[in-house]
Amino acid sequence: MRRAARLPAALAFALVLLVACVVVLDRRARTRPASGPRTEITLLRMFGSCSDEYTGVTDLSRAVGECGVIQVLTNAFNAENDQGISVRTQTIEWSAYYDRLSAMYAAGNPPDVAVMHRSVLPDFVARDLVLPLARDLEDAGVDFGDYVDPARQAVTIRGEVYALPFDFHALLWHVNLDLMAKAGLVDARGAARLPSSPEELFAHAAQMKRRTGKHYLAIPSQTDPMPTWTLETWIWQQGGDVLSPDGRSARLSTPQAITALSLLNALYREGHADRGLDYARAEQAFLSGEAAVLINGTWVVERYDAQANSGAAALRHYGVYTVPTLFSRRAAWADSHIWVLPRHGHPDPRKHRAAVAFLRYLHDHGLNWAKTGHLPVRSSVLASEAFQALPHRADYEGTARIARALPPIQNQRAIQDVIVEEINATWHLGRTPAEGLEEAQSRVDEILKRAAR
Amino acid sequence: MPVRIRRSFRAPGSLAAFLFLAPFLAFYGAFLVVPLLLGAWMSLHRWELLGDLRAYCGSGNYLRMLRDPLFRSSLVHSAQFTLMAVPTITAVALFLALVMNRPHRLYAALRSIFFASGALSVTAVTLIWLMVLNPSRGLFARFMAALGFAPVDLLADPRLAMPALVVTTLWWGIGFPMVLFLAGLQQIPRELYEAAKLDHASPWTTFRRITLPSLRRTILLVLVVEVILQFQVFGQVLLMTRGGPANRTRVLVQYIYETSFRDWQVGYAASMSMLLLLVMSVASFVQLRLSRPGD
Repeated sequence: MRRAARLPAALAFALVLLVACVVVLDRRARTRPASGPRTEITLLRMFGSCSDEYTGVTDLSRAVGECGVIQVLTNAFNAENDQGISVRTQTIEWSAYYDRLSAMYAAGNPPDVAVMHRSVLPDFVARDLVLPLARDLEDAGVDFGDYVDPARQAVTIRGEVYALPFDFHALLWHVNLDLMAKAGLVDARGAARLPSSPEELFAHAAQMKRRTGKHYLAIPSQTDPMPTWTLETWIWQQGGDVLSPDGRSARLSTPQAITALSLLNALYREGHADRGLDYARAEQAFLSGEAAVLINGTWVVERYDAQANSGAAALRHYGVYTVPTLFSRRAAWADSHIWVLPRHGHPDPRKHRAAVAFLRYLHDHGLNWAKTGHLPVRSSVLASEAFQALPHRADYEGTARIARALPPIQNQRAIQDVIVEEINATWHLGRTPAEGLEEAQSRVDEILKRAAR
Repeated sequence: MPVRIRRSFRAPGSLAAFLFLAPFLAFYGAFLVVPLLLGAWMSLHRWELLGDLRAYCGSGNYLRMLRDPLFRSSLVHSAQFTLMAVPTITAVALFLALVMNRPHRLYAALRSIFFASGALSVTAVTLIWLMVLNPSRGLFARFMAALGFAPVDLLADPRLAMPALVVTTLWWGIGFPMVLFLAGLQQIPRELYEAAKLDHASPWTTFRRITLPSLRRTILLVLVVEVILQFQVFGQVLLMTRGGPANRTRVLVQYIYETSFRDWQVGYAASMSMLLLLVMSVASFVQLRLSRPGD
C-alpha cells in the first residue's frame, strides 16, 4: 500500500514544482521590461511582410512599395527616437487582417498601434474599442488644421477624432500607353484619351479590339471587390447613392445602380473585359500587355512604374489617371488607411506615450507614404514640390477632390461582400442587374438594421 | 474480512488512477467541456465578439436560423459537399488499398506517397491546387489543351467549383481512409482466399463475396468518420473560392466563421455551431452503435 501511494505523491510533488517554476519565470518575464529603459510597443499592420528584405535599413530612399515604406519608417523610428521606444511589428495578410485583429481584442490582447481602414472604424468606435486621439495628437504637435477636410471627416465620428489619417486610396485607371497609341487613343502630348460617356467607352473598347486585338479593360473580378467599387463609382457619377445619407437604408435598387451594373456587365459580355480574371491574373494581363487599362487602386502606382522602367515587363509606357467621368458628376470610390490606438483593459501610460510619439512620426512622414502611389492627406504635402515631382501625380492628384466613400456606418465589410455576391449572381445565375440589385438592396437593408447601437 | 481488504487496496489505487488521469481531465475539461457549455450558453444570447453586448434572447438565435436563407444555403452546400466527397473518398481509398495491399517494396513506397499529402496543411494543399487549376498556366489547363479543349476555370464555374473542391479534398485526405482499409484487408484470413482459389472463384466474385463482407465494419467506420470530417469542410473553401462563385460553395463552417469574426455575432454563430454539433453527434452515435462488438 505504501509503495502504491509513493508514486502519486512524487507526481504531485513534481507538478507543484513545475507550477512554481512557471509562476516565478512568468513574473520575472513580466517585470523585466518595466524595469529596463526601453519601451516596447506592438504594431499590427497589413501591407505584407518584408522585414527580412529591409533588415537594418533606415534609409527612406531605399524603400519601395507599401511594405517597404512602412517597414523602413518603423526601422528608422526605432533607430532615431531618443525616448527609448522600440516598435515591434506584426504583419497579417490583408484578407485575414480584421479577423485576426478582432481575435486579438477578444483575447484581451490588442496591439498598441494598429492600421485600419476608415470603412471599419465605425464598428470599433461604436463599441468603444479605440481611443479618442485629438488631445494626444495636438499635445504631440500634430496640426489637424493641415489635414484636408475629407481626411478629417474620415476619422471623425460624432465630433470626436479617433485616428490619424494616413492616405486616400482610390480607384484609378492604370494605362498601357503603347497599346493606347496603337489604337489611336492618345492625344498630341502622348497622354491617354479616356472616355467621357458610356458610349465613348464602348467606342474606345471596340477600337482597341479592332486595332490591337487586345482587351480594353482588365478588371480584377470573380470574388474581388473591384467591380463593386467600380459600380459604386458609376452610381455616384450619375448623382445616385449607394446608401441613404443617414446610412439607414440601401439605395441599390435604383435606376442609377441598374445603369451602372448593366454597363459593367455589357463590358464583360461584349468581350471588352474578362470576368474570369482574379486580382493576380488581371494584374498579369495588364503587365504582360494583354489589356490596355487596368482598374486598380493607388497602392500599385510605384510598383507598376518601377516594372515599366525596369524593361522586364511587356508594359513599357505606363500612365495612370483619375477614373474618367462617364456620367454627369465626378466621383471615384476611395477608402483611407488610418492609424488607431486600441483601448486596453489595463492601460500603460508609458506605452501610450510611445504610441503617440510613433503616430507623430508617421504624421511627419506622409510624403514617404505618398511615394507608394497613395494620395496624401495633408495640404502641405499635397502642395509640396517634392510630392508634385513624384511621377504621374499630375495625372491623378485630382482624385483627392472627387474621392468618395460610404457614410460612417457599421458592417461595411459585410455590405461589400453582399454586393460582390449579388454582382456575381448576375454573372452566374442568370439574374438580371435589376433582380441582382433588388436582392442586394434587401440584404443590405437587413445588415443596416442590425447596427449595434 | 474480505470486504475491508478490497477497499483498502482500492482507495489508493483509484487515487493513483485519478492522478494519472488528472492532466488529461484538466485539458479535457478546460478545452472541451467548458467551451462546449459556454457555447451553449452563448447561443442563448445576442452576444458580440467585441464590446459588451450580452443580451439574453432565449431561442431567438435558433428561430433566426430557421428564417435565415444564408444559413439554409450554407447548410445545403455542406451537405452537398459531404454527399459528393464521402462516397468518392471511400471508393477511391478502397480501390487504392486493394491495389496496394501487396508485399512488394514498390507498393510500400506508393502507400507512403499517397499517405504523404495528408501531412500537408490546408494552406499548402490549396496553394498546390490553385496552381493546378489555374486556367491560364495550370496543369489542368495544359491537360485540357493537350486534349484540344478550351481551358475551363473550374473554381469560377458555379457548377464545377464544388466538384473541384471535392477533388482537392480527395487528394488531401485519401491517406487516412486508405490506411484504415489496408488494416482491414490485412485482417482477412488468408485461408478464405485460398479456399476461393481452390473453388476457381473469379477475382470479382472473391472481392464481392469475401473482401467486401469482411470489410463491412471498416467501410462503415470510414463512412462515418468521413461524414464527420467532411461536414466540417472550411479551409479549402475559404482559401480557394471564398464561398463563390455566386455563393455556390459557401459552407456552414465558413458562414459560422464569418458570422463570428466578420460580423462579431458570436451568439448566433454559437447557435449554428450547436446545430453542427448535433449533426456530428448523430453521426458519432451511429458509429458507436455500428462498432459494438458482436453486431
